[in-house]
Amino acid sequence: MSATSGGNGGRPRGGTARRPARAAVEHPRRGSAGEPGLEPERPADARALRVGIARSSRLGSDRPIVLEPGGEDGPGRPASLPVVDGLPVPVRLDRRDRDRAVLVEGDGLEAFRTRVLFGPRRGADPDGLVRRELVVDGWRVEVEIELERRAALRERARRTGTAAGQGGPLDVRAIIPGRVVSIAVAPGDPVAAGQRLIVIEAMKMQNELRAPRAGTVDRVAVAEGGLVELGDLLVVLG
Amino acid sequence: MAGFRRVLVANRGEIALRIIRGCHELGMEAVAVYSDADVSAAHVRAADLAVRIGPPPAAESYLRVDAIVEVAKAMDCQAVHPGYGFLSERQAFATAVEEAGLVFVGPRPATLGALGDKLAARRLARDAGVPIVPGTLEAAAPDRPASIRRLQAEAERIGFPLLVKASAGGGGRGMRRVDGPGELPELLATAAREAMAAFGDGSVYLERLVGRARHIEVQLAGDADGNVVALGERDCSLQRRHQKLIEEAPAPGIAPEQRRRLHEAAVRVAQAASLRNLATAEFLYDRDGVFSFLEVNPRLQVEHGVTELVSGLDLVHEQLRIAEGRPLSAAVLAAAERATTPAGHAIEARISAEDPAREFTPTPGRVGHWRMPAGPGVRVDTAIEEGETVPADYDPLIAKLLVVAEDRPTAIARLCRAVNEAEVGGLQTTLPFIRFVAGEPSFAAAEISTDWVAEHWDGERERRRALRVAQLAAGLDALDTLRPGSVHQAAAVAPLPAGRDGWSPAWRRDGRPGEGWPS
Repeated sequence: MSATSGGNGGRPRGGTARRPARAAVEHPRRGSAGEPGLEPERPADARALRVGIARSSRLGSDRPIVLEPGGEDGPGRPASLPVVDGLPVPVRLDRRDRDRAVLVEGDGLEAFRTRVLFGPRRGADPDGLVRRELVVDGWRVEVEIELERRAALRERARRTGTAAGQGGPLDVRAIIPGRVVSIAVAPGDPVAAGQRLIVIEAMKMQNELRAPRAGTVDRVAVAEGGLVELGDLLVVLG
Repeated sequence: MAGFRRVLVANRGEIALRIIRGCHELGMEAVAVYSDADVSAAHVRAADLAVRIGPPPAAESYLRVDAIVEVAKAMDCQAVHPGYGFLSERQAFATAVEEAGLVFVGPRPATLGALGDKLAARRLARDAGVPIVPGTLEAAAPDRPASIRRLQAEAERIGFPLLVKASAGGGGRGMRRVDGPGELPELLATAAREAMAAFGDGSVYLERLVGRARHIEVQLAGDADGNVVALGERDCSLQRRHQKLIEEAPAPGIAPEQRRRLHEAAVRVAQAASLRNLATAEFLYDRDGVFSFLEVNPRLQVEHGVTELVSGLDLVHEQLRIAEGRPLSAAVLAAAERATTPAGHAIEARISAEDPAREFTPTPGRVGHWRMPAGPGVRVDTAIEEGETVPADYDPLIAKLLVVAEDRPTAIARLCRAVNEAEVGGLQTTLPFIRFVAGEPSFAAAEISTDWVAEHWDGERERRRALRVAQLAAGLDALDTLRPGSVHQAAAVAPLPAGRDGWSPAWRRDGRPGEGWPS
């Protein structure tokens, strides 16, 4: 099919045309935010989505992507490429059934195909966020999907709201569910980074939870013998 | 002795179900016991009768000797099958079962005493002329300064790195790797605490850590008349924190003559312990091709299925027949004849509720989507179905995926095919790791050792691509539902609140939501 050459040849220019230039006069507010690296390009398309990795699936440096639809298909016009982080990318989703699809990256015989299992969608929370579980190559990934415009609004609000509170208390949360076997610290104790805080037994293994940084124990939120779930607050470090 | 009419299965999960199936195939009824965490579990549904024995913690349910023996008597059972784990190796349990006038489906209590105690087993092997891994031969409780000092002196003699192991141990619990003398006191304490929690016995011993060794074990069967045979070996080198992840039979790259000598050494240990029923002798096979004895597990192993697939036996059937007092069956004797020249190759991969990108930490929870592979040469032992909860109280193993084929390369190809058919949602499993192993050239080349996982597996790296694919797929799916005239009914994302589009004046003024903004 001729979509390969048509798509690759036509899209980058089209994408640029839809996208306002970076000129300061057109986006005075972006300049005033003062953090050009953190502020994603504000896309022209109102349907642009931000797809991030939910906290439960995060490994550290995972970054959200911004996805915009390509132009509409039409007679005589090849299907256009979706725009990922500002660049048209040859990627499409082949649906198989309600739960299954194949992500096709690239074109024709060279395409890289990955099977994807779609899990349940957890409805929008008050922030307009939709959580969804996907399974890819056996990996269970929870993603968060929201309109890019809303994500940008929310981020701006959070930055303004927490500007004064930097270096505040740190919540140490359970990275595995299980039973609290022992607690090595009490409120008021100074702790060094890496010092053992709590031992959690899960599936007969004892897992030691250590302080991510030095500080003072403000609060111990669990008791010995108690059950904790993934993400439960264990200790607050001042 | 008359055949059993009814057997109590003192276990849970896939192994309880597997034993219940074996009972039914021999025309026996099966009685299940269960904790409050397993009220509607598969083994309870499969059994002819099921009796609650306590709350979820194993110590208050599946480890209660008195309650289980009481149920066996009350339900008019003739025998008790302990499965693996829980009470399977506990001499006191076997004794209690026998004192209640019932048959324990396993070795004699005295054999459990001699072999279940890892140190007694090491002494027994040494006395039988079987080489053992260098280490201590007496149990020590590291609870007093004097005993810690003694262990420190022993550790210097053995050399580092070494392993602290629980005397009553198994499955890696109560086991710690020690790289230098400075670490020893703290790791002794951790290992003892874990051993105490897992086995009710905090005593430990030391053993040299043999680097890049392979873990090879021999399946043994014995009858009441003292006949003992080896039914072949399994290679269980792919381990993580001393928990086996992949097992295969036969062990690749072992010459028939070497195999015969290994089987003979295992039989010698078993005979020295007067083995009746099934047991497995574990050995380390070092880079110089030397076998040294580790321990004997006097019970059915998790990975018994690979031996079944290669030998054609049903080991649970054989266990029950031996427990009924019959001699080793003709099928067992024939399989023992073929054991040094096995035809075919089987591989087992353990699907566990663990996150292979996060150091294989447990991921208990509710299983969403669940589909297991099928087709030629594939066997899945599991007690999980869609919607089932994997409790945090027990072992994270949720399914065993076994494949068998005419040779090892074909078995690996079959494993590749099968693992790609598996679909599990709701919780993270070890499936990505199994995919990786099945496609890894060094596994195909049988360049394996107990260090293989640490040397080859980088979970975060493997996961990164999946994250990107998931983001793209979720985004493309959501965009599709947003497209005007899309056939998809459900909205992918919530719409922006009415009248608030982009940067509103309210936000710019003070950074707080304006009037009417939903909070």
